[in-house]
Amino acid sequence: MHPTTLMYTSSLLLMFAVLLYPLLVTFTSLPLNNDWASSHAKTAVKSAFLISLAPLSLFLSTGMEAMTSSWTWMVTTTLDITLSFKFDHYSIIFIPIALYVTWSILEFATWYMHSDPLMNRFFKYLLTFLVAMLILVSANNLFQLFIGWEGVGIMSFLLIGWWHGRADANTAALQAVLYNRVGDIGLILGMAWLATNVNSWDIQQMFILSKNLDMTLPLLGLILAATGKSAQFGLHPWLPAAMEGPTPVSALLHSSTMVVAGIFLLIRMSPLMENNQTALTLCLCLGALTTMFTATCALTQNDIKKIVAFSTSSQLGLMMVTIGLNQPQLAFLHICTHAFFKAMLFLCSGSVIHSLNDEQDIRKMGGLHHLAPFTSSCLTVGSLALTGTPFLAGFFSKDAIIEALNTSHVNAWALTLTLIATSFTAIYSLRVIFFVTMGTPRFLPLSPINENNPAVINPLKRLAWGSIFGGLLVMLNINLFKTPVLTMPAELKLAALAVSILGLLTALELATLTSKQFKVTPLRTPHHFSTSLGFVPAIIHRQIPQLSLLLGQKIASQMVDQTWLEKTGPKAIANATTPLASATSNMQQGLIKTYLTLFLMTLVLVTLISAT
Amino acid sequence: MAGVGFQRWVRTLSKGKISGISGLLPACRSGEILTYFPINIGEIAAAAKKYNIRVEDYKPIADNGEGYGDYPQLPDRSQQDRDPAYQWDHPDLRRNWNEPMHWDFDMFIRNRVDTSPTVVPWSTMCKQLFGFVGFMLFMFYLGDKFPAYQPVGPKQFPYNNLHLERGGSPDVEPEEVKNYEI
Repeated sequence: MHPTTLMYTSSLLLMFAVLLYPLLVTFTSLPLNNDWASSHAKTAVKSAFLISLAPLSLFLSTGMEAMTSSWTWMVTTTLDITLSFKFDHYSIIFIPIALYVTWSILEFATWYMHSDPLMNRFFKYLLTFLVAMLILVSANNLFQLFIGWEGVGIMSFLLIGWWHGRADANTAALQAVLYNRVGDIGLILGMAWLATNVNSWDIQQMFILSKNLDMTLPLLGLILAATGKSAQFGLHPWLPAAMEGPTPVSALLHSSTMVVAGIFLLIRMSPLMENNQTALTLCLCLGALTTMFTATCALTQNDIKKIVAFSTSSQLGLMMVTIGLNQPQLAFLHICTHAFFKAMLFLCSGSVIHSLNDEQDIRKMGGLHHLAPFTSSCLTVGSLALTGTPFLAGFFSKDAIIEALNTSHVNAWALTLTLIATSFTAIYSLRVIFFVTMGTPRFLPLSPINENNPAVINPLKRLAWGSIFGGLLVMLNINLFKTPVLTMPAELKLAALAVSILGLLTALELATLTSKQFKVTPLRTPHHFSTSLGFVPAIIHRQIPQLSLLLGQKIASQMVDQTWLEKTGPKAIANATTPLASATSNMQQGLIKTYLTLFLMTLVLVTLISAT
Repeated sequence: MAGVGFQRWVRTLSKGKISGISGLLPACRSGEILTYFPINIGEIAAAAKKYNIRVEDYKPIADNGEGYGDYPQLPDRSQQDRDPAYQWDHPDLRRNWNEPMHWDFDMFIRNRVDTSPTVVPWSTMCKQLFGFVGFMLFMFYLGDKFPAYQPVGPKQFPYNNLHLERGGSPDVEPEEVKNYEI
């Protein structure tokens, strides 16, 4: 075997081994030492990141991709499944980024979860999640991807419900599981269709064998899967509810890695989608609706984590729009840059929350610019990167997406919604910065706000470097598959920047109004719509469970017996035959003389007629 | 209707004598578990005492042959709707010990259906949400009908639209093709 190939594949498998080792150690009954979290878990992720840089540099310098099939799992006459890893440019670029972000988050979590007695278990769960995510990302067949898919779903459930004594956290964890399950129906449907029609779950084989088939049904299944996992409109309420979990969980799962799994699935399957206009249009419209709707909801939220959660949902909608434009690589680029600044925004929020003694309401923050300068600077940098400020990380992906949107033959309403959502992004980002960092403090000066702990500052620093230079680095080193349209009118080129600046100025104007109250602002319908998250949780979470639970209870306890014994069984027979019996007996009046007379008359008549 | 009469007939016949396994349990023998829809004031009072409710509050579920017996009809309010600041015996369940349980108690726990009042009435919420979704679907349909795209035109080739290169005869005068306008 060529030494480069050997080094490539073995360093990637070594990376898996390094990550699995701390998990396997926990299966013995020996107690872990107190700093297992930082000495083993965090170190493992850091080492795995450094190991994964070797194949990354090999890939960037030689363009090498690899596919490793290690072990045959099951072989039937029509379908065989092997343990197969695909290290192509998508997984090779995503894995170091995911490991870098996870390393920073784990280091942050050593500070954030320090007072938690089960901190080691928390880190174990995070590591298990990471392994499942890497399995998902590097899977070369749908079965392995499904294993990773379910793994991240279950770990999400366990981590959101970390504080399981809190009923709201349990409800949120249940929501996450149920909405993801609805999405899984789509994935399983797609897998079943592919298994029966294409006889393979292997990615390369599926692409070749499905060339002349109508792929609409499995693609709809995959889009449903992405809708569930990536919180698109319709299956989105679980993502803001998932903020019940600890901040490191929100930073890792619900911003950078897990929620992009749905988009990643569609990116992997993009060759199947290229020629299917229905699927592309559906992605485009669904993504545009999601990005606008969730950005609208983010405008009026007061919980800092909820604002960032809706921001994540909005960016996921943008990624879906990009897939609908038939630009999966731009969507992937946005996944990579989004991981950096979104994780940083969550870590800044966590730092602020802990500093203010677990206060999450932005109306009770303020003035942190002076009290926590580094955190507020990182918050500002992250927000600027999110809005697509030129030459920060978000610019390279977001601006490319908006340019592609502007120059494509595209649904005009989707274009409008995406641009509106881009300006809303600037509005709620400024709202966060204004309420958290600017002005004077709106909290009691009793909590010792400090930034002395390197476990907080170093992760923020690393992610800040990523948010500033990450986009540039990725863009310089990858080759774009589809030629971008480089010539366009100046209005289209500057459209993203113009709407963002417009949003920024509007938000500044509205923010300054908060300290100058001229007259009472009336509560209007759009405000209720936005604050109550479009009424989606209120309607869906009450109506559907009530109907199904009531029906279930009725069927189980009453209707089965009532049906079989009363409506179709013995009682029904009795109820059916009684009228018949009474009608028949009522007909028998007992008029014997009349009956005999009629009988005699009929006999006489018949005799007379037959005689003639 | 016939069922009710049948039940009363059975009751009068087997006063105090309950057959089967129910006859072995002391509570059944005294008529505490095996219950029927209460008719007179004595049965109502006994049922209210059994379920730990005041007689004024006790209201049996209507007898439609579904077999609820004398179980009380409690208000359809969820546990989430109850006061979070009150010192409940079970604070997470928001319930006191020996409190009468709603027939659908498992539906009204805090993880499930919530009946707390909403900011806006139900009809308004439904109208706004489904109106929004309908509006969006309609606008997407319009956007599909009138898509946004950059103007493109056919390429303008030189040399009389490449007349000779495309196999045209040099003797024939090529027709003028102009794909642009200045």
